Amino acid sequence: MTEGVYNFLNQHTAVSEDDFRLLMSKVTTRNYNKKERLTEIGEVEDRLHFISKGLIRKFFYRDNEEVITQIIKQGTIISSTASFFSRKPSQYILEAMEPSETVSITYDDLESLYGLGNTWEKIGRVITTHFLLQQEQLLMDNIRLTVRERFKKFMNENPELIQKVPQKQLASYLNIKQETFSRMKHLLYDRTIKSV
Amino acid sequence: MLIDFNNINENSLQYMSNYLQRFMPFSVEDVKALLPYCSIRKFDKRVEIVSEGEVDNYLNMVLIGLVRKYVKVKKKETILQLATEGHVIHSEISYLTQTPSQVILETLEPTTLVSVSHKQMQDALASFPKGERLGRLIMTGMYVKKDERRYEMLSKSTRQRFLDYMKRNPHMLQRVPQKYLASYLNITSETFSRFKHLLKPSKNI
Repeated sequence: MTEGVYNFLNQHTAVSEDDFRLLMSKVTTRNYNKKERLTEIGEVEDRLHFISKGLIRKFFYRDNEEVITQIIKQGTIISSTASFFSRKPSQYILEAMEPSETVSITYDDLESLYGLGNTWEKIGRVITTHFLLQQEQLLMDNIRLTVRERFKKFMNENPELIQKVPQKQLASYLNIKQETFSRMKHLLYDRTIKSV
Repeated sequence: MLIDFNNINENSLQYMSNYLQRFMPFSVEDVKALLPYCSIRKFDKRVEIVSEGEVDNYLNMVLIGLVRKYVKVKKKETILQLATEGHVIHSEISYLTQTPSQVILETLEPTTLVSVSHKQMQDALASFPKGERLGRLIMTGMYVKKDERRYEMLSKSTRQRFLDYMKRNPHMLQRVPQKYLASYLNITSETFSRFKHLLKPSKNI
């Protein structure tokens, strides 16, 4: 469990063993059942979660329809980030899509690490930059790629999710109509089309 | 294009200090200490400051003027940002990963930017005492803004997006061609024109 956090951090920037031990003294491990919520709309997000096991989605309601903005797999971080950083009420719900385990830190504990100086500031900056880039690339893809290209890219990067996540939710995440999604499913099996 | 720092007046220093105060305590003296890591750049209007395929070397804050950031797919332009005084604008992915830019930056008015080159940024992070913290807080601020914009685009009706934006940015209608505002809000030009009557004061409200 802690190994996952260690690997995640070191993918982005070197973290010493002492610093890592300090971080581990501040985190809490929590387990969530399927459909259990980590965060509700209207509450101020107090935690940044590293998913050590499971799958978590982030969504809100437009009228009565769920709009999924993120489906996050184990090995990375999820939070209602805008709320976490701005301390304003969350506009999103975070919900476990399967039994999940997270290692999380509170806003105050993270701030106390930043207070220790540049080492933690740098770790924070590098990881924030990573998520900024990820979000910007998603925006680029939504503009530059066709629906079909987005579908293929997502499925190539996340082939296991087609089994785990209801189609309706994948379609919502990709911002594709359910009918279009169903029509495109043949792309997953038809190898000849992939190479065109 | 580059002007020297003797040309920076107290107003600009104060302005930068006020701007950076949003992130952390930042005095005019701090701004002066930061200036060696910055360049002041001036452009006429309608100058492409980053082209598609070019590696963006600068993170910019708009001191005076207006810059648009857009993507061109086939012939269609999609505007992602309209940056006025106090906004940070650059080709994020290109600048941060030093890869060819997917977006284009163009001035819409004569513009003065405070710019930090990629090299200056590395130097500032290494040597400027508050550099890491400022860097993290600016990145966080940008991230939150992007997240909020995404939420707005997904959650609000076109009408609501129009009204909220015009309320927050009443001067933009004068400064920016309508079709650009429409593109930024992801509304067709026709719908945008139709919505304009909503801006007239009404007795019913």
